[in-house]
Parts: sequence; C-alpha cells; structure tokens
Amino acid sequence: MEQEQKPYLQIEQLSKMFGTFKALSEISFEVFEGEFICFLGPSGCGKTTLLRCIAGLDIQTSGSVIQAGKDISVLPPTARDFGIVFQSYALFPNLNVRKNLAYGLENRKIKKAEIENRVQELLSLVGLPGHEEKYPAQLSGGQQQRIALARALATWPGLLLLDEPLSALDAKVRVHLRHEIKELQKQLGITTIMVTHDQEEALTMADRIVVMDHGTIAQAGSPVDIYRNPASEFVADFVGTMNFLPATAITESNIRLGELEIELDNSAVKMTPDQKVTLCVRPEDLLLGQLSDQPSNSAKVAVEGLEFLGAFYRAQLGMEGFNDLPLTIDLPPNIIDKHEIKVGAELAVIFPKDRIHVFSVS
Amino acid sequence: MKDIVSNSIHTSGLPLRPQLSKDDLIQAGGLVLLAAGLLTAIFLPLYVMLSKSFQDAEGNFTGLENYSEYFGTPTLVTSAQNTLTIGVVTTVLVGVLAFIYAYALTRSCMPMKGLFRGIAMVPILAPSLLPAISLVYLFGNQGMIKEVLMGQSIYGPIGIVIALSFWIFPHTVLILTTALSMADARLYEAAIALRASRLRIFFTVTLPGAKYGVMSACFVAFTYAITDFGAPKVIGGWYNVLSVDIYKQVVGQWNFQMGAVVSVVLLFPVVLSFIADRIVQRRQIALISSGSVPLEPKPDKKFDRIMLAYCMTISFILLGILAVSAYASFIKFWPYNLNLTLDNYQFDLMDGGGWAAYQNSIIMAIWTAILGTVIIFSGAYLIEKSRLFSRFRSVLQFIAIIPLAVPGMVLGLAYIFFFNPTKFNIPFTGIELTNPFNFLYATMGILVICTITHYYTVPHLTAVTALKQMDSEFETVSASLKVPFYKTFTRVTFPVCLPAIMDISIYLFVNAMTTVSAVVFLWGPQTHLASVAVLNMDDQGDIAPAAAMAMMIVYTSASVRVVYGLLTRGIERRTQAWRRRESVD
Repeated sequence: MEQEQKPYLQIEQLSKMFGTFKALSEISFEVFEGEFICFLGPSGCGKTTLLRCIAGLDIQTSGSVIQAGKDISVLPPTARDFGIVFQSYALFPNLNVRKNLAYGLENRKIKKAEIENRVQELLSLVGLPGHEEKYPAQLSGGQQQRIALARALATWPGLLLLDEPLSALDAKVRVHLRHEIKELQKQLGITTIMVTHDQEEALTMADRIVVMDHGTIAQAGSPVDIYRNPASEFVADFVGTMNFLPATAITESNIRLGELEIELDNSAVKMTPDQKVTLCVRPEDLLLGQLSDQPSNSAKVAVEGLEFLGAFYRAQLGMEGFNDLPLTIDLPPNIIDKHEIKVGAELAVIFPKDRIHVFSVS
Repeated sequence: MKDIVSNSIHTSGLPLRPQLSKDDLIQAGGLVLLAAGLLTAIFLPLYVMLSKSFQDAEGNFTGLENYSEYFGTPTLVTSAQNTLTIGVVTTVLVGVLAFIYAYALTRSCMPMKGLFRGIAMVPILAPSLLPAISLVYLFGNQGMIKEVLMGQSIYGPIGIVIALSFWIFPHTVLILTTALSMADARLYEAAIALRASRLRIFFTVTLPGAKYGVMSACFVAFTYAITDFGAPKVIGGWYNVLSVDIYKQVVGQWNFQMGAVVSVVLLFPVVLSFIADRIVQRRQIALISSGSVPLEPKPDKKFDRIMLAYCMTISFILLGILAVSAYASFIKFWPYNLNLTLDNYQFDLMDGGGWAAYQNSIIMAIWTAILGTVIIFSGAYLIEKSRLFSRFRSVLQFIAIIPLAVPGMVLGLAYIFFFNPTKFNIPFTGIELTNPFNFLYATMGILVICTITHYYTVPHLTAVTALKQMDSEFETVSASLKVPFYKTFTRVTFPVCLPAIMDISIYLFVNAMTTVSAVVFLWGPQTHLASVAVLNMDDQGDIAPAAAMAMMIVYTSASVRVVYGLLTRGIERRTQAWRRRESVD
C-alpha cells in the first residue's frame, strides 16, 4: 500500500470500557482510501468492539473516529456512511432477494426503474443474476452471504465493514468466497475493514493486518511483515507456527541456546549480556545441514517424532544437551525420502540468522 | 504507524455521550411512555392500596392497627391457613396428574397425542367458576353422583381443590411438556449403555432434567390456586380463603381497609412464589445446550397402553366436567324436571346483566386483544431492540414481569383505590391533587386496562422470545442502509413475528372472556360482564343460567380459537411463503 495517500479513516486514542473492563485501550491507527484492513486476534481481544465503535453500534468511552475528514465519534449509525455484513448474513427472511437488495434504495427517493437497474447490477456483481425472486431460506450459505454483501454495497457506502463474514461457511466455500470478496473489493476500490480470528483469511485477503491482543494493537503491517517479522511473542505465536526456545544473551548480536552459540543478524530487542531471551524460529525456516561439517548456527539433533501433514512432514527434534525442548521442523516429503529420514535419525539443523527473532523475557 | 497527537475533545475524562438519532429519540419516547403506562397501571394503584392498609376509614394514618385487628380476628387468620392448605394440596394433586399426562405426551408412543394435547387445554377456555358449577351438579346436595363422596360435602376444600385442579391443569401440562421435551437423547443412550433400569433412568436422568420445569409448574399451580376467586366463591361453602375474604370485606361489608390488609396478606406468598420461580427459571437456561440431540420415544406396547388409558381417563374427566355444565344449562329444573329447554339462556329475564353482559364481555375481550397486543408487542420490541438506554430497558424488562406476581383480586381492589377517588392527598404535604384518571372509573376503559395489566407478563414473554429469535443485526443493517427502525419493524419484524403476535392476541382475548377476579370490583351499571354475571347468578341461586352463561363463554373462546386457527393457517399460507425451504442448491 502506498502510504502517501490521505487517510480515509482515522482512529485516535480510542478506548472503550464495559463497566470496569477495558475492552479497548488507546487504539490509534489510520486506514487509507481503498485499503483492505483485517482486524485479527483471538476472541475477546477487542476486534469486534473496535468494529462496532467504527459503525457507531457501541460508542467508545473516549477517543475519536474520523471518516473522510469528518469527526463521526458520537454519531448514531444512521448518520454514518458504511455498509455492513455479518456472520449471520442478517438477510430479511420474509423479503425476497430483490426486496432485500432494494431495501436501502427504496428509502432514497430513487426511481423504480433505477432501483431495478441497481438490483440487477448488484446481482451480476456477486455472480447471482436470476436469483431475485428467491427467499433467503432458498439460497445456500455462500449465496446468502453474497446477497448480504451485495445489499451492503447497494447504497454506495464509502466504507465496507465485514464482521467475520465467512465463519459460518463450509471450508471449501470459504476459500472460494475469500478470493471473490477480495477481487470485488479491488474492483470497486472500496475501503474495507474485516474482523476475523482466522489468520489464513487475514493473510490472504488483507492489504494490512492489525493484530489485536487484550484491547491493544499488538502489531499492524502487511501480511508478509506480520508473518515474517512478528513484533512480539504474542504475534509470533498467534500467526503461524513458531518454535519458542529459551536462550541467554551473550552480546548484542550473540545468544546462547543450550550449548550452542547463535549469531543474529539484528535483534528487535536491545540485549544486555546474561539477559534471558526467547528465540523464535518458524519450523519451515530451519534448514537441514550436513552432519560432517559444522557451519555456524547449526546444531546436532535426533528425530524423535514424524508427523505427516499432507503437503509436508513435521518432525519433532531432540537437541543434544537440551532435553525436553520442543523443536519442530517442516520438511517436504521428497527431502524426507531422499535423506531417508525416520524416527531415530540424526540430523544437523541450521538456524538461519536472518530468520531468527529474539524477544526479551518479560 | 504514526503516533497521532489527539487534538480532539474526546479524550477528556468524561465518557463520550452518543449523539441521538431520530430513531433513538422515537425509541426513547416510546420507552418513557411504556414506563409511565406501567407505572400508572401497576405501581401507583398498588402503592395507594398499600397505604390504605395503614389507614382508618376516614383516611387517617393508623400504623399497623388494621393488621393487628386482622391477626386478632380468628376467622380471618383461619382463612389464611385454609388458603395455604388449598394451595399445597392442589399443587401436589395437579402436579402429579399433569406430570404423568405430560410424560405420556412426550415420552410414550401412544396414538392421538395431538388430540390429548388439545383436550388438556380445554379448561383454559372456561372461567374457574365453571368447574365449580359442574361439581355442584355432580356432587352437590342434589348431585348426580354424590354417593361417590361417601358422605363428604363437596362444598368446601374438596370441591375447591377439584375445581382448581381442573382449571390449573392446562397451565401445568404446558410447562411440563416443554420441560420434558427438552431431553437430551445422548444422556439416555449413555444410561442404557451403562445398563441402568428404566426406573433408575427415570430418577437419575428424567427427573433431574425436568427438575426446573417441575418446580416452575409447581410455583404456577400454587400461585393460581391461592389467588383464584371463582372456584372457592362458588363451591367453598363455609371454608373461607383469602381471595373470597377480600371480596366479602369489600363488597359485603364495605370495609375497604380490611380488604387492603387481606390483599397484602395474600400478596406475600404470591410474591415469594414469584421470586422463587424467577430464580429457578434463571437456572434453567443453562441446561439447554446447542449440541443436544432431541429424544425420540421408542414404542413399548405395555407402557404405551398404560399411558393411553391414563390420558383417556383424564380427558374423560376434563370433558366430563365441561359436559355437565353444558348439559345442565339445557335442563329445566334439576333434578325435578329433566326436560330440555333454552330457558336458561334467557339471560335478560335474570339479574346479572343479561345478554348485554355477554356483549360487553366480547367488546372488552376485543379491545383487550387489540390494544393489549399492540402495547405489549411494541413494548417488548422497544425493550428488546432499542439501540441505547440499556439500563432503563432492563428495568422495564423487570417491571413487565411484575404483573405475574399481583393476584387479580389485589389488582382489582387497588384499581378501586386508585381510580375511584376524585382527589388525592399527597402524604405529609397537605397538597391535594385532582385525580386525572377518575373519569375511567366504572367504564369499559378501566376493565380493558385492568385486564391488559393483569395478563401482561405471559404475552410479553412470548413476544420477547419471538424477538430474541430474530437476528439481532437486522436493526444494525437497517441503520447502515439509513432505513428508520419503524420501517424495519413494519416490513420485517412484524410479519416475521406474526404467529407469535396472533398467539398473544388470542391469549388476551380468551383471558378477558374468562377472568373474574380482576374485574369483579370494577364493573359498573353499564359494564356488566359475562363472567361476573355467572358469579352473580350463581350467588342468587340461578345456577342453571350461571352454567348457561359459563358455557357461552366457553363456546365463544372455543370458536374464536377455531376461527383463529383457520385464519392463521390461511394467513400463513399467503404471507409466510418464505418459511418454506424449496430448492437449496
């Protein structure tokens, strides 16, 4: 995302209390015109509350929301400019598809013929032309969600809010619709915010992900950034799979992992000697080395378990002089075959220094 | 992410106040109106009544004097004990009978379940006076089968308990059927897999599962039994109970203060039972999990036959009691002249209000059904679906349940106190206020208001349940589409909830037709009612015409129900087409 544009939506110092519980704590960030943002986090992290504050469904305790240069902080939902899609679709069950789509248009003194044109346009936009006479109960889940999306877009809103829109769908439909929504969003160029707890959804759809934890922003950045350079142990743990290994700092760019000395490229934390740290490395980032020569950052390990996960194997490794430490490595099946790796085999693994993250132990 | 230095006012210490939209204002207005209405219809009358119980006839404050007089009068204290006895015995009897009946309906494979379900509901169509009248014909001094009682008199506790059991039976069956049909089949499968006997399964799975339903049914039965007025009035004889005492104090002796005291005494057990029921119901919610597998009863010839025989016996008794009144209403002069006649239906020749009373009842029932449904459903909608004012709404939610804890006799008497005086003295200030509601006294209006208030809670809960089943995001979506909430209410909420709305209006109609207790103090010379006419004709010994009028009420409620049933089916076919799932691809 080019960040030279003007921000379309600004959240400033936003906090929300429910009684004494602080659901959101001084949240600040910006969304740019046409951007697709995902709020990602475990349940209870405040992502839905934040969406509801943006929609005006819950009013924040303090802080402001500015949309298109206008302060909308305390405005009711009716006075804001957004379309919304829920996990439950929330299609009006007693109205057919046409009436559902025309629901918001009929209230705007638009001519009947124009409404019908818009309905047809929306139907072809979501790939469901010819379904206008059907009632929601006669549509499949995926179709209902597409109609709900079309209805949210019907009145040309400036902002599209998606609240876990795919969670109620089957896995296959979900993957398909994920792609479709993203394409549609790009085509329309509509600024979009989606709430999800599904990291895969966030990684594939978002231009930028806002990872949330306990009412605060843990990290905001592009999917690649979030995955490759997690800003905290929480993000590292929540997104993707990660090995967490306790280590001790030696210098600013060296740490000790058991008997192994590991060199780092650069560390996010300023380390002082003897400081306790956590070393993080993704199972797929570990490399296989030769047992014969000992390159730097490599350790001798034994295969203790081997789990077949379809596209790859996940191996549990035991490190020499480092008992009971769960270290896993992902290896493609052909590597497993080629090196005849099985339980009990001895290997050398390399910790690539540009793929290691170190966090101080709090 | 850039750090933004906030320059806005929104970071000051106070929480932000949401700006109100037009929708919010309308909703706030509606909620305030509802609150004011409920306050005037429930709390002010009850408050006035309560204060009367601490005053003498001239309105001077006398502290607890009335109460000490009450507890110093042995006959009055005896009726408090009698009331509790009736309550407990009726609860046990009807509880056991209804439990077995509900068990047969839910856990057996006997045939004709729908029919038995319908028959169990028949007593709802009648005023509680009717079973009492029938019992007089059956077991009274010249009763058809009085030998069965072996010398015991039906006039007294026996008659009251039987009449009340008949009348309370449908309410209890309804609650127990719901409780017993919420069983989780997996628990039974597990019990069978562990080789538990049928009896052991009953005590370890069935009963615990239905525990809260059983308790709730008992509280309802107990409350109805101790507050009913019709049955003990007709068949109680010398056996006094509190509700009849209130009537005697007020109508017989014009001792309004003592009437108020007895009302407060009656209010106590009812409120306790109400609170206990609330606590129980709050627990019940946690029992149902979404993963439950509904239990399908398996055929068992012997068991099914026993259950069928049982249900047939009970149904025979229920219909028999109804049939006795129906038959008696056509008899010239029981037991001396058994010729059939329509003379008993010549109500205009008798005291009690004549056919005009019947007509008034119908008008009253229609108004109650229409106004009540509009107020109760809109009220429930505002309480359930408004965007803001959550604290205010939860207070209202609680207030809406309170009428359940106010016996009809108490509400009726409170209404006299509240609507009759032309002026009110504000205590301790000496200020006198003209009563703005006085014009309602002895009008159709007060009857309608009182009946709606008396029966407010059950339809309110029906409406809340229906509204809770609607997606809570409809309102949000409408707001985002800039459609005002009342449009969504009329276009979506109302049609989707139509079945529940129809249930509410028929419930109100039938109860308005049959109620005696709440209106017995409130009818005037122009507003005789059919149910009160039954009472008065019976009082004067015109028992056959009383039976005839009671049957008119039954015929009316029944035909309205049937017409409603047909109408509902017709309307559903036309407007509820969307409920049918056709092709899902």
